[in-house]
Amino acid sequence: MKTDISSFETEMNRGFLQVLVLVLLERDMYGYSMVKLLEKKDYALEENTLYPLLRRLENKDLVKSKWDVSKDRPRKFYVITEEGRTVRSQLLKIWQKQIEILNYLLKEFKNV
Amino acid sequence: MYEKLEKYLEEISHYLVIQEGKEEIISEIRSHILEKAEQEHGETSESALEKVIAAYGNPRQVAEKYIDNVQIIAPSFKKYLLRYTAIIFALHFGLTLAALLFRTSMVVFPFFYIPKMDSFQSLSYIPMILVFDIGLVGIILYFVTQSRKDIKLPWPKFKVNWEKIAARRQSKSKMIPFILMLIGYGLLIWAYLRFHTLFFMSLDFQNPESLLNPLASKWYSLALLALLGIGILAYAIKFFATSEWINLLMNILQLIIIGIVINKPIENPFVEFPYFNLQTTGNWIIAIVAVLIAIDFLKSLIVIGKSALAD
Repeated sequence: MKTDISSFETEMNRGFLQVLVLVLLERDMYGYSMVKLLEKKDYALEENTLYPLLRRLENKDLVKSKWDVSKDRPRKFYVITEEGRTVRSQLLKIWQKQIEILNYLLKEFKNV
Repeated sequence: MYEKLEKYLEEISHYLVIQEGKEEIISEIRSHILEKAEQEHGETSESALEKVIAAYGNPRQVAEKYIDNVQIIAPSFKKYLLRYTAIIFALHFGLTLAALLFRTSMVVFPFFYIPKMDSFQSLSYIPMILVFDIGLVGIILYFVTQSRKDIKLPWPKFKVNWEKIAARRQSKSKMIPFILMLIGYGLLIWAYLRFHTLFFMSLDFQNPESLLNPLASKWYSLALLALLGIGILAYAIKFFATSEWINLLMNILQLIIIGIVINKPIENPFVEFPYFNLQTTGNWIIAIVAVLIAIDFLKSLIVIGKSALAD
């Protein structure tokens, strides 16, 4: 039986996407622009996952938003807050640690 | 006006059960879909929007991603929903049967009210109590979950330890009372077969007179024989294996017999008796026997419950 990887991928993405978005929002961006930017790097970010994530981050004051109505189509722009930066640096440390331990183990057990 | 898009957004809005910010969420999705259609299909035609909408996903799933995973009943409590419902339903079911048997209504304050019913009504009442019991347990577990405390819900281990039961047997010294019981029981059967009653007004076997009319004599004697027979059978079983479950089962069967006796009253069962009212005395005797059996039943239930919780 072939294991369906998608549920594992969803689990892995849950934490990763938070960090990714907090990094992306170092500059003002709106949802569609974030999807497009990542698409250029061959990373598909599910749009229906991105917006709820942005809302959760905003509710925790890690990002803030502003509607831009100057163009013909209104767009909601997001940017990281100071609190978001603090959380991001902590998350990046955790991520670094995870990469380190994984790299160490991959070297140690070469047949993985 | 983009009809399909608005219909899609309306559906998302329907499933979006949140306190505030609903309009803003919908506006953001609208803006996203329109921009994507324009950028990737060069227009915001209905067909282009249809493609973008299809890629965005099913409205319910889209809406659910905004809803925080609020637990109604915590996973660790879920198994108790069935367990506790089973216990309460068994109790409720038993009381319903008793109410039916004794043709009365019952109130177990504040949870149960069992009305006086006939057999047909009780058939439709039983599914209703099951739904009620699930709901009752569900509500309790909901509040336990919402309290967010580490509550350890009790659950007795109803594992029957057969080895322990088989090891505990009635002592052989009880064999003599048992033989005496069998002889006595044999005599009662003989008396019933010979005189068609076990309720004598006097012990003059040449000219026996029954306290009851012939129909009542027959049924009440058979009921008495059944009550005693069950007791003797339980006593005999204990020579092979002892368990409170045997007592419990014996008491249930005996209570059912008494229930039938009360439920099927025979008109004027007693013959004329000059000294006192036999009917009142008879009722009192039945009531006392029922109470004694009920006490024994509760005793067995407590012993079983205690040992189950202690394991």
